[in-house]
Amino acid sequence: MKKSFRAVSIVAAVAMITTGLVATSAVTNAATVLTISTDLPLQGSSFDSNDSTNKAIALYLKQVGYKAGKYTVKLKIYDDATAAKGGWDDAKCAANAQAHVANKTEVAVMGTYNSGCAKIIVPILNQAPGGAMTMISDANTNPGLTKSWNPGEPDVYYPTGVRNYARVCTTDDVQGAAAAQFAKSIGIKSVYVLNDTQTYGQGVAQAFTTEAKKQGLNVLSSGAYGEGWDAKQTDFTALFTKIKALNPDMLYIGGIFDNGGAQLVKDKFKVLGNNTAVKMMAPDGFTGYPDFNSMPEADGAYLSFAGLSTELLLKNAPTGAGAKFVKAYKATYKKDPIGSYPIYGVAAVQVILAAIAKSNGTRKGVTNAIFSGSGITIPAAQSVLGKALTISTLSGDTLAKDVTIEIVKGGQETTLKAQTVK
Amino acid sequence: MMMLKRKSKDSKTPKQSASHKKWTIGFLIAAACIWTFYTYIMFRLPDSLQTIFQTWLPPTTVNEAMVWVICAIGLNIVVGYAGLLDLGFVAFWAIGGYSAGWFMSAFFRQVNVHIFAPHQTLKTPGIHVTFWAVLFIGGIICAIFGMIIGAPTLRLKSDYLALVTMGFGEIIPQVFTNGENLGGFNLSNGTKGISPVDNIGVPGKVLGPFDFSWKFAIFVLLTAVMVFVSLRLRKGRLGRAWLAIREDELAASMMGVPLMSTKLAAYAVGAFSGGVGGVAFATHVNGVFADRFNFSISIILLAMVVLGGMGNVWGVMVGALLVAWINSTGLPAFGDLVNNTFKTSINFPSYNFLLFGGVLILMMLYKREGMIPESRLKAIMHEADDTSANIGGTH
Repeated sequence: MKKSFRAVSIVAAVAMITTGLVATSAVTNAATVLTISTDLPLQGSSFDSNDSTNKAIALYLKQVGYKAGKYTVKLKIYDDATAAKGGWDDAKCAANAQAHVANKTEVAVMGTYNSGCAKIIVPILNQAPGGAMTMISDANTNPGLTKSWNPGEPDVYYPTGVRNYARVCTTDDVQGAAAAQFAKSIGIKSVYVLNDTQTYGQGVAQAFTTEAKKQGLNVLSSGAYGEGWDAKQTDFTALFTKIKALNPDMLYIGGIFDNGGAQLVKDKFKVLGNNTAVKMMAPDGFTGYPDFNSMPEADGAYLSFAGLSTELLLKNAPTGAGAKFVKAYKATYKKDPIGSYPIYGVAAVQVILAAIAKSNGTRKGVTNAIFSGSGITIPAAQSVLGKALTISTLSGDTLAKDVTIEIVKGGQETTLKAQTVK
Repeated sequence: MMMLKRKSKDSKTPKQSASHKKWTIGFLIAAACIWTFYTYIMFRLPDSLQTIFQTWLPPTTVNEAMVWVICAIGLNIVVGYAGLLDLGFVAFWAIGGYSAGWFMSAFFRQVNVHIFAPHQTLKTPGIHVTFWAVLFIGGIICAIFGMIIGAPTLRLKSDYLALVTMGFGEIIPQVFTNGENLGGFNLSNGTKGISPVDNIGVPGKVLGPFDFSWKFAIFVLLTAVMVFVSLRLRKGRLGRAWLAIREDELAASMMGVPLMSTKLAAYAVGAFSGGVGGVAFATHVNGVFADRFNFSISIILLAMVVLGGMGNVWGVMVGALLVAWINSTGLPAFGDLVNNTFKTSINFPSYNFLLFGGVLILMMLYKREGMIPESRLKAIMHEADDTSANIGGTH
């Protein structure tokens, strides 16, 4: 008797809570509003940069009055990281993908930050009932998502045969090649390549290795993408002692700072010396981390970024849309966007909004607007990137092949030069 | 102790089987309700209601929680029945996952094997075996590994045993993480993982990524099988031997319980369940990724078993559902609600482990036997309370 009473009271409580929730949220829905979302890791050390991206996008949508053509848009933020993993989480990516599709008003996604997560989400969005849903990334640089790279790629990500993934940054094959050409240009003769064993790290290390060999540099590491480092390892002294014996001019670190990068850089300094003695270069997986920039061991390190850094944007087009936007960001949030990806996030949203304006307000319509006919081009006057942004209707890649070379100086990422890939 | 055993044995049998019956019916009714809801009712609801369900209880979360249940039931056999503390159960989840990766994908491009595979895969190279067979293959591989880990640990007790299992739970995922180039052979594709895996084929249909209710039904079926196996084994000779070992290993061996084979059987059956869970999870995420399999998964599984009620499959099931929900959806959704209501920006999910830790401590202080305790364990724990309040955790 007592037990059944308890059960009844629990059921009653649940029922009350449910009705309460229903009542509160029933008011907010309007049928004509379309949702666009961001899907970024908001936990772990890439939080700063991705939080800036979300803030920048929120600000941009406010600036355009939440309008895309005749449609009103609103923003929904998804987090693809979990606290337990301290970064992107495969199960969370899969769950988010389902949530994007289940959210009926959602027409396009801005994200993801990590190529690995994109490889889970894109195939699910691709098979969305009623037509593929488009995702546009500000930061995925793995070539395999859009072009032939590993066996089966990129077709494995598009089971229906329709393309639904685009990006506004350039890819690792371009970034790695630019880095190798830059290394050659500053007189590097020999180089040792490391990678963090992940999709992204190996991809960029492979591109670097290939181009470095082509440029006639002596690549001291073996294999197509150099030697892998274990992110969980707490000491890399042995690794660098081995490298020291080979006496390279430069160390190339293909990977993400989150993956034990801090320890790696510390041990590099300890064994190989500072970044003048043995130069150090890393790809955009090390950009946008205040933690990295502020390390004394990072001073003088070269970084590449698969696009134009915010600093370059401001320099190239000081009166353009991008410069104005960065000023507005600073005025609103009282600080600069962190790293250069936030501006690329806004660029991705510009593409999404242009596609929505051109579409009939459905997912399929948005996807068609990007991947068929004349596709989407954001003219230079409007583009926050300071120059025209065109998305290829065939691959979804941006036609621009800009790479920026930066150097860490006094705890800041400073732009050194733009490196156009030959 | 002897008296207590007799007492619980006399009073328990008819009562407990009746309660199992109640729970079984309850489980089936709940599963049927959820299935009907997600298949027929959910998409007919007004959008606002749908949004609420998508926020608080999306079908992916329900399915993911079922996978946790399958693994937790497996761990319950090792920890709850046989009393062998296992801190490395994630290894079996990983091996199960990779079984799906190996036998249900285009990963091994050098070969071209198709066994009852869904017709879409016929044109692709790789090993494509039907999901149903892979469940068995994964389970058997895990059972073998369960025995491999079990064998050297037979001479160890409690803490030492826990350390060995923990080591095992660390080694296996590391092998997968670094298994991209094992003497030139790519075993696991490193941290890039294996994706996508084949869809599940059922008679007349191949399940796509949005066939939740089908997948839910399959996961429920797998859970039901594991529960059935657990309960039957628990009742039989082997189950009684496990309990004897759990309560007093020395006494059990003196009474003629073969320690070696009994313990190995616990590891094997538990690992089988973990393997089945791993295969199911791989089809749920549509891939298998090495970074997932870390120590915290083992701990969360153990927390599910302890919170729910060690030794009681129903308690473990409730514990697993609850913890899995809090972990994946509950806490973030609750955090959003609080942040939106009070205009704060607290990162709730980052307090996940603080919350777990706190709850575990409270449970250990006030309800050591778990939410839905096994009657026998409860009796033992309260025996200590009755005789001397100072000796808390004897067993």
